[in-house]
This record gives sequence, C-alpha cells and structure tokens, in this order.
Amino acid sequence: MNVLMLGWEYPPHISGGLGTACEGLTRALAGEGVNVTFIVPRAFGDEEAGHMRLLTPDSVVATTRRVEQSGERHVREPVEVIEVNSVLRPYQTPEQYLQSRSEFTQRSEPVSHVMEVLEHGSVAASQAVAHYGGDLFSEVRRFAALTSGLAQRLDFDVIHAHDWMTYPAALQIRNATGRPLVVHVHSLEFDRSGEHVNPDIHRIEGAGIRGADRVIAVSHYTKGVIVRQHGVDPDKIKVVHNGVTRAEAAQRYHLHADDDRPIVLFLGRITYQKGPEFFVRAAAKVLTRTKNVRFVMAGSGDMLEHVKHMVRELKVEQWFEFPGFVRGAELEKWFSLAECFVMPSRSEPFGITPLEALACDTPVIVSRQSGVSEVLRHALKTDYWDVDRIAQLMLAVIRHDSLCADMLEMSSRELLRLHWRAAAEKTSQVYQQAVAG
Amino acid sequence: MPSVCFYFQVHQPYRLRKLQPFAESASDPFCRESNAGVMWKVAAKCYLPANQRLLELIHRYGGRFRVAFSLSGVAIQQMEEYATEVLDSFKRLADTGCVEFLAETYYHSLSSLRDPVEFRAQVALHTDAIQRHFGQTPRVFRNTELIYDDRIGELVSDMGYRAVLAEGADDVLAGRSPNFLYRHPARELTILAKNYRLSDDIAFRFSDRGWKEHPLTTSKFARWLHAHSGSAELINLFMDYETFGEHQWEDSGIFQFLDALPHDVLSARDWRFQLPSEVVRDLPAREALSYGRTTSWADQERDITAWLGNRMQQEAFHALHELGPRLRERNNPAALALWRKLSTSDHFYYMCTKWFADGDVHAYFSPYEGPYDAFINYMNALDDVRERILGDLPAQENA
Repeated sequence: MNVLMLGWEYPPHISGGLGTACEGLTRALAGEGVNVTFIVPRAFGDEEAGHMRLLTPDSVVATTRRVEQSGERHVREPVEVIEVNSVLRPYQTPEQYLQSRSEFTQRSEPVSHVMEVLEHGSVAASQAVAHYGGDLFSEVRRFAALTSGLAQRLDFDVIHAHDWMTYPAALQIRNATGRPLVVHVHSLEFDRSGEHVNPDIHRIEGAGIRGADRVIAVSHYTKGVIVRQHGVDPDKIKVVHNGVTRAEAAQRYHLHADDDRPIVLFLGRITYQKGPEFFVRAAAKVLTRTKNVRFVMAGSGDMLEHVKHMVRELKVEQWFEFPGFVRGAELEKWFSLAECFVMPSRSEPFGITPLEALACDTPVIVSRQSGVSEVLRHALKTDYWDVDRIAQLMLAVIRHDSLCADMLEMSSRELLRLHWRAAAEKTSQVYQQAVAG
Repeated sequence: MPSVCFYFQVHQPYRLRKLQPFAESASDPFCRESNAGVMWKVAAKCYLPANQRLLELIHRYGGRFRVAFSLSGVAIQQMEEYATEVLDSFKRLADTGCVEFLAETYYHSLSSLRDPVEFRAQVALHTDAIQRHFGQTPRVFRNTELIYDDRIGELVSDMGYRAVLAEGADDVLAGRSPNFLYRHPARELTILAKNYRLSDDIAFRFSDRGWKEHPLTTSKFARWLHAHSGSAELINLFMDYETFGEHQWEDSGIFQFLDALPHDVLSARDWRFQLPSEVVRDLPAREALSYGRTTSWADQERDITAWLGNRMQQEAFHALHELGPRLRERNNPAALALWRKLSTSDHFYYMCTKWFADGDVHAYFSPYEGPYDAFINYMNALDDVRERILGDLPAQENA
C-alpha cells in the first residue's frame, strides 16, 4: 500500500499535537509495511523521518512508477521522470476518468468553491490563526497549489489528509488523480473555537469530510460531532483513537461526580473466557474492607444472568451496576469515570481494552493469561484465579492515588508505542476499504 | 604523605514476605527463607572470602594495610541469626586493631531526612551493637547511602561526632578536589568526600569489558593514585563491600586485585593506608564545604530520588513516619523493632521507577516483580502494624 499523506507539521517543528500524532501513526504504519510519502509545508532537515519519504510541496522528486508485469506482480523501480501536469493517468480510460470525476462532484462541493473560500475567506476572528500563526489561508492556498502539482509526479494508492489545512490540497489531488481520499479529523473548528467558529474554516472542514471516501475520527466524541455538524453517514467514519486524557474526556462528557465512590470497572463480554466471576468474588472481598466503592460490569453475554445471581447470593447487589453492552461514546465515558479497569480473562490472545482504559488515564489490572500483559509493564498483573490478589490490587488502586499516578505517568510512553500500533492497524483497514471503493 | 582511605559498606535488609491481607496474617512479616538465603549466598561469595583476604593482608603488611567498615545493625543481626561464622570473621578483623567501624543508623534508614528523634535512637542502637560485637565505639559517622547535607551535618555534630563521610559530588565541590579534608561551614565537623571516580573504577567498572581501561590491573590503579602525589592529601575509596565477589564476580579477578593492591600502593614512597579517624587526627580540614542540597552516592544524580523520587515512595515514607511517635510511646520493644525494620531504605528503593522506564530494563536488586508490587506489599505491611500492633480497626471506609 502506497499512501500520499498530507500534514501540516512534523516533529520537532510542532505547534500542537497534530505533528506528534502524525509521527506516531506513520512510524507504526511503516511497521505494518505501508509506504508513506508525507508532504508538509516546510521541512528543516532535522526531522527524524527515516521510516518514510518526507517532502515539501516544492520538492523535486525522483518518482517511482509502477510497472505492470505479467499479471499480478508489481515491480517498483525508481525512475526519474518529468511529467506534464495532467490529471490523466496512463491506466485510466476516459470513461473511468469521467466517471470518477462525476462521482466526486456529486458527493462534494466543487474544489473551486473551496479555493474560493480560501481566496476570500476571513480568518481574523478565528482562534485558528492564533493556533497556527501566519497568514493561514494564503499558506493553505499555497500548499494546495504546489502539492497538487507535486502529487502528479508521485505514485500512490490512497490520499490521507490530516485536518482542514490540508483538505483543499487533498481534494484537488483526489480530483486530479481519482485516487480515494481518507481525511483524518484530529480536531474540529468547533472544538478549537467553541462559540466563535470561523465559518470559512468550518466550510472547508465540511467540504473535506463530505468529499472524502473515508473519514477517520480520533474519538467517538469527535465522530458524533462530525455526524451532527456535517451531516455525513456515520458508516463512513471510523474511530481510531489518538489517546484521550482523562481530563479531556471528563470535560467532553461534562462528567461530574454525582457519586464520590470510586468505580472499579469490568468491561467486555460477560462470558466464561473473560472470567467475570473472579471479578465478582474479588469485589466481595474488597467490600469486607471498604464499602466506599462501586463495581460496574459493562457488557452482555451468556454468563450475565449467572453473574447477577452470584452478586445476589453474595448480598453485594447494592454496590453493583450492570449498564449492559456499551460502545462508542458510552464506552469512553465508563473508562474515563472508572478508578480502575480489571480484565480477569482466563485466556486472551491479546486484549485491546486495557490499552483503551489506559488511554483514558485509567490504571489497569490484567490477568497474566492475556497477551497484553506481556507488553504492558506499568500495569498490575495477576493470575485470573487468584481472587485474593485481584482484591488486594483493587483495594490498593482505590486507596493509593500515588500508585495510580506513578503507573499512569510511567505507562504513557509505553502506551504511546502500543497505541500507535493499534491505530496503524485500524488505519490500514480504512485504506483497504477506501481502495476497494 | 598521601593516604588511601578504604571504607566498605556491609548491609542486608530484612525483606518482606508477600503479604496476604485477605488471609490469616502471620506474626512475622519478614521472609526468613529469602533473607537467610541471601545472607548465605553473599557470605559464600563475598563476606567470608573477602574477610579472609583482608585478614591475610593486614597480617602480611604488619598493620600498614587498614580498612574501615560500616556494618548496618540489620546486617549484623542477620549474621547472628543465619551466619554466625560471618560475624566471627568480622570480629577477627576487629581484633587486628587495623579495622575501624563507623557509626550509622542500626536500620540503615532514611530517618535523618524526617525524624531526628528516631535518627538519634537508631544511631544509639547501632553504637551499642558495634560495642557489643567489636569492642569499639564509632567516632566517625556515615549516613545511609552516604546521604548528607548541611542540616544532617548539624545533627551529626550535635551527637558528638567529629567527622562524617559524604559523596564528593561535582556540584558540591564546584571545582575543588575531593582529595583533601573539608569542614562543615558552621560546625566542628570534618568531611571526608568520596573520590567517586576512583571508587567507581573498582566498584562499577572493574569488570566492564566495554570500558577502555579494562582490564584494570593493580599497577595501573596504583599509578592513577600515585599521579596525585603532591596534589592530594588523601584518596577516599568508599564502596559497597559486596563489590568483592557479588557485584564483581570472583572470575573477574576482583579478589586478586584486592590481594595485590596494597603492595602496589605502598610501593611509592610516602603513600600509606589510613583509617577515617586517623585521617581526621592527622590532616587539617582545609576549608568549609557546604552541602546545600541533599546528596547521596547513588546514580548519576547523586541525590535521594532512588528512595524518595516518586509519589509512591513519598506516600509510603509519610505513612511510615506517621506511626513512629505512636510506636515509640508504647512500651513494646518487639513492635518497635518490627516497625523499625520497615524503615530500612531498601524498601523504598524497591519502589523506584527510575530504572523502569520504557525499553530500559535494568536488573536491580529487588525481590519484587516491580515497583508497584513493592509499594503495595509495603503498604500492606504498614496496615498490618496499624491493625495488629496499634489496634486500629481495619481501615473500613463506610459509604
């Protein structure tokens, strides 16, 4: 898979989290075998981008051209080419070209409209100016004009554009090449500026999102905002977490403590494999030491009734809640609310949920019988059958803020690496879908 | 007449068992098997062969070779419990008259940083133990892990000590040489500053094949020492005794090094070995040296973050010391001794997250899977003290 990625900044020259996210994602994508050509407005030569090709819009490139050989096999060979600026591709028939062109225009506003916004739009009131600096619209315009020229000389299967500044360029390239476009929404004008939304930026954002073949949103929250504000089909949007901090999530969901009791969370299918009964038995032990706690078991499954029965038998139902199967925003909310997440699985090939919990700044207790326990060093580990130990760990997390704070601080770096691996995997799937149409 | 001043630290903590707060609690929270096991292992690899070697050297050089030790009280106590032959071999060294024993806290604790009452009590206990076993009264003080600052200097001076050992940290010396005696800025207290480069050449780099000076021969090391002739009054070589045979394995040649070093040092005219109290008696303290920050001999930073650097360590340290006054006012020596064993610095060291950073796996001496387990187990031990000894109700927070 060859990806043409458009970004606005790259470490170490960054003003916000976008550049860092791009680095994390592209490194992990390289690990997945994805070839990334990354275009940023400016490069300084000290970027560590050995895992991909980093270009600026005015780069002179020796491009690679795909040579068809005996059916399926593709051979890449570097060829120095000087191409005429053209939207035509050698392996596209006029009919295909017209068709892709018309599909594009049906779905989105004409690119010229977007460029018009750039030409005449006002950025004075926008927070974005303060955020990114400079004469932003003319920068965006310059980037779009030069990048679309450069793209003609590059070979790629899919376009991946990060945030609205790159959308005009991306839309032009999509228009010119017929390659599918994935736009990646890290933040929205609505998030950045609240009530003082710049209508022009909002419009460019909308054009990019509607004009894209696929959309990646960094959280379920962001996905929800996109659907509401830009009226796109939720099925077109895939959530790939960049990692939300607990504080951010709490702000988003306006979480207030209606109940001060710390929550110990089980989240997943309530089935034999996930070991829910060990959670219940450990909870009952914890309750012999403190009553100031809530146990939430989110999920459904064939053991749910059995588990509820156990809770009644142990006479601890007043400390238990069963919100049922949760997903999306609801899932993020529980992770963010919880004091600690417990995964007492009997057997788990990997187990991504502890990573999601950690991304919400929630410490985790995981069974040693899970793959994820092998890669997480800043987590509390237990054998799933060791109910005393599970209870001891739950109690420790509830009682000692210092333990949680140190674990989370130490896990952040480790998590970033693991997290991007998962993000790259999901992003690869989005590419496949985009290319498949 | 430059002196080489050797001081070796001997210490073993009482390690905790894996405590089971939901099971019947046993009366002894410490793990007899692992503590005895470590003592036997280190005795066989280090204490016994190294003591034997030192004894021979002292006899061979007729008193011209001499060394100082600091044995923590808990190390002595475990020798009594598990390996009396080790204690006997230290007594034989004491009997030569060429070995000085330094003062420290019995429990190798961090109490100097927090609780002067406890600090003085633990030093007194240690002095008793040294008098009882070795017939000496320590006159020079060294604090746990060489932890020192001006305030600790005042504490030590107020207790009647004339000299203290400290790290020769670069920022404290600020361009001055560690190879002279210094004094406390406000007290009659002489400071012996460790020459960490030469000390660490033996303690840390001796068997490092990546080190450009490897292998380190005695003639090379003696040459480095002698190069200071005329520009140094003493070279303070301070290190863990476990350097010999435990940190640097026998097959690295560390014992041969120890065996041959006195000859090569004494081969240069005027060079001699002296004990800390002799150095203090014979040499002038040239100028005041202020330790404005708390130093130790640990890590690159030479600070106390290995014990009190993260939030867990601070919470645990606070929780420990909260119990101190309550335990001291009860007339229950066994309970007080148990609590004091929990004051040993190693418990806090096990909670350190400095070496546990991503992709940076350092082997370090810990009986735990990691710092989080160390913290949880330690806090369980304190809970146990609170509930069983002080009779507090089990921490029961009702909604």
